[in-house]
Amino acid sequence: MLRFVRHAIMAALVAGVGIGMSCAHADNWPSRNVSIIVPYSAGGATDILARKIAEGLTNELGRTVIVDNRAGAGGILGTTLAANAKPDGYTLFFGQVSSHGIVPNLAASLKYDPVKSFEPIIFIASIPNILVVNKDLPVNSVDELIAYAKANPDKLNYASSGIGASTHLSGEMFKSQAGISMTHIPFPGSAQAITSVMGGQTQIMFDNMPSAYQHVLSGGLKALAVTTKNRSPAAPDIPTVAEAATKADLSKFEATSWFGLFAPAGTPAEVITRVNTSVNDLLKKPEIIKFINDGGGVTEGGTPEELAKHVTAELAKWKVVINDAGIPKQ
Amino acid sequence: MDLFGNIAMGLGVAVQPINIGFCFIGALLGTVIGVLPGVGPTATMALLLPLTFGLPTEASIIMLAGIYYGAQYGGSTTAILLNLPGETSSVVTTLDGHQMARQGRAGAALAIAAIGSLVGGSVATLVLAAFGPLLTRAALSFSAPDYFALILFGLLVSIILAHGSLLKSVTMVVAGIALGTIGVDINTGQFRMTFGTMELAEGINFVPLAMGLFGIADILRNLENRGSGMGTVSVISSLWPSRDDIRRSWPAILRGTGLGSLLGVLPGGGATLASFASYSLEKKVAADPARFGKGAIEGVAGPETANNAAAQTSFVPLLTLGLPTNAVMALLVGAFIIQGVQPGPMMLKQQPGLFWGLIASMWIGNLMLVVINLPLIGLWVKLLRVRYEFLFPAVLLFCAIGAYSLHNSGFDILVMAVFGAVGYLLIKLGCEPTPLLLGFVLGPMLEENLRRSLMLSRGSLMTFIEHPISLTILIAFALTLVTVVRPSMRRKRDIAFAEEET
Repeated sequence: MLRFVRHAIMAALVAGVGIGMSCAHADNWPSRNVSIIVPYSAGGATDILARKIAEGLTNELGRTVIVDNRAGAGGILGTTLAANAKPDGYTLFFGQVSSHGIVPNLAASLKYDPVKSFEPIIFIASIPNILVVNKDLPVNSVDELIAYAKANPDKLNYASSGIGASTHLSGEMFKSQAGISMTHIPFPGSAQAITSVMGGQTQIMFDNMPSAYQHVLSGGLKALAVTTKNRSPAAPDIPTVAEAATKADLSKFEATSWFGLFAPAGTPAEVITRVNTSVNDLLKKPEIIKFINDGGGVTEGGTPEELAKHVTAELAKWKVVINDAGIPKQ
Repeated sequence: MDLFGNIAMGLGVAVQPINIGFCFIGALLGTVIGVLPGVGPTATMALLLPLTFGLPTEASIIMLAGIYYGAQYGGSTTAILLNLPGETSSVVTTLDGHQMARQGRAGAALAIAAIGSLVGGSVATLVLAAFGPLLTRAALSFSAPDYFALILFGLLVSIILAHGSLLKSVTMVVAGIALGTIGVDINTGQFRMTFGTMELAEGINFVPLAMGLFGIADILRNLENRGSGMGTVSVISSLWPSRDDIRRSWPAILRGTGLGSLLGVLPGGGATLASFASYSLEKKVAADPARFGKGAIEGVAGPETANNAAAQTSFVPLLTLGLPTNAVMALLVGAFIIQGVQPGPMMLKQQPGLFWGLIASMWIGNLMLVVINLPLIGLWVKLLRVRYEFLFPAVLLFCAIGAYSLHNSGFDILVMAVFGAVGYLLIKLGCEPTPLLLGFVLGPMLEENLRRSLMLSRGSLMTFIEHPISLTILIAFALTLVTVVRPSMRRKRDIAFAEEET
């Protein structure tokens, strides 16, 4: 009992000191380097955007902002690490549609809560997926694709970059809203998946815009639509799925790869405000706008509350898609 | 066809002082990290990526590419000297390369690896320049059943390539395949055999597994045999290959170049197969296959040439389609995008200077690698004279750093330690770790392509016969299987291997 009391006093002391310290930190934040956890390996789409933002933040804050790649378990490893990191403002998290939209609906057990474990900071960018088909498939529009699928049931295969990826769930959403059947063929990455569409082993893919669009330009693939609500600035002549489908009701079809900056829950409000202001400034710079537009996406920005609202909407939307598709929890 | 005009333009870009400078830095860095066990090109390039932000596009890509093929090259050094394969492609180099080192012929092994790499790399770069787009089309027509057949063939080859009892090598392959099933299942997204730990969710990493089974296990055995000196080399005969070595090596180098150039193009890990395929080819065509595993120089020359050739031609899918064939290539894609260039079919039209400059820089880089490495051979060989008490803690330390650097986590060090103990046990049991590693690498690819083939064919097994490439490879597989299993052949094999076991 005595030992318990002693431990309790110690714990209270440590906690007190901890709170005192974090207050002191918030005043002159940042007094040392800040790291942004990216739950994927270096070189991928998320990593590259995060590095671009980290580079800009370094200039804005006057302290080095580094990208900390913590890949593993399809992003769950890094997200969990970030959720449990010390909320002192020196660890931030580069969240995306997967960590804060899809995975929480798909995983049987998670050691983080997309809403309770994080403070939203700022919505950074949205990038469309693009519906591409093999160049020899005799369809040239979303309407023709739906008609072809209905005339040839069980013939079409669509490729994805893995179970639960936005490339997979875009396909499931399309299937259920257009009322057609296609077989899902998962690959361990986007590159292998798009190779199979070009080679004709599979016929369709909802790929991330930047990597797929070059094959549309070179004539290797045909683009039928983009999956966002609005057309992409990088390819204004490609219609949205909702616009292109005149014979089926796809008006609610929207699947976006999006990115936002978060901090572990309990991070001082001053830090959140400071980073939000800095990134908002950054997202107005022509260089950053051009970088994101070149990748097919648009910059977002705004308040932390707007990101919170977006997360809630995304969690709800993907829940429906996953339930409709009957994908088992993992 | 304006190949020469294009190459001339590329050379014009590559010989600019800044590009030559960064090509040298890349090749040197690649050699250094290749030599450090476990510190791979992926970790190094990820670390250096931010530094390339401010560089001109050509210089940064040329440097990163240099790190990649430089590491392929440097990896053979530790494989030969310390029995430590840093990556898949140098696993087979340990078989004869390390034996040569134990016999005091480390210098010859290192020199022939250098010469083979130069030949393989230069010829493969020419193949890349001349036939890139053509090869791409061929690679695109490779479908899931074709991959399945090719990998099945690869597994059979891995059994042929082992010494000792057939039963033991089959057991090792199966154990490797079983280890390879750990992690998320691609087709269902379910976690398999992860025991609820997130660290195992993406499976066991190749690097700590290989370092444990080979390097750590070897250290344990050497420490046990302390009585017999440092366990490696006492006499060093010569630093350079003899005339006989050269005579034996050059046909192996030519065959390795051909095999490596072809297999490197395949997007599904063809480069992995190149060095294994070359080793088994050399063993097949050798007049006296019994020398293999006991320091046959062809067993170093062929695979080392093949892996460097494959390292060059694996740029084909990246440069012509923007499709990375491995983790390092994926990082390069990132580097291109950061520079505002989308690698792929449009690059040749939009950035011809960059495209041809990179290709030309590969020749310069390969030449630099030889210039950097030949003088170092003397130094590396002297390393073997360092007293083992000082050498092995340093090796252990670098292995631990290498394992840690993979995911910035201690878990991989633990994996390495566990497989070090397993490797020691396997040595005691007379089991070869090579087939296990090959099963580990190829097993998941085999499963993935088998299941994908059947999903695409809606469950029909006929798909493997209907695809001509798959059918051809399966026939080759069947013929090879017959020669392995036929009693008369088996007796011959047993005799050959019984000698080796003494």
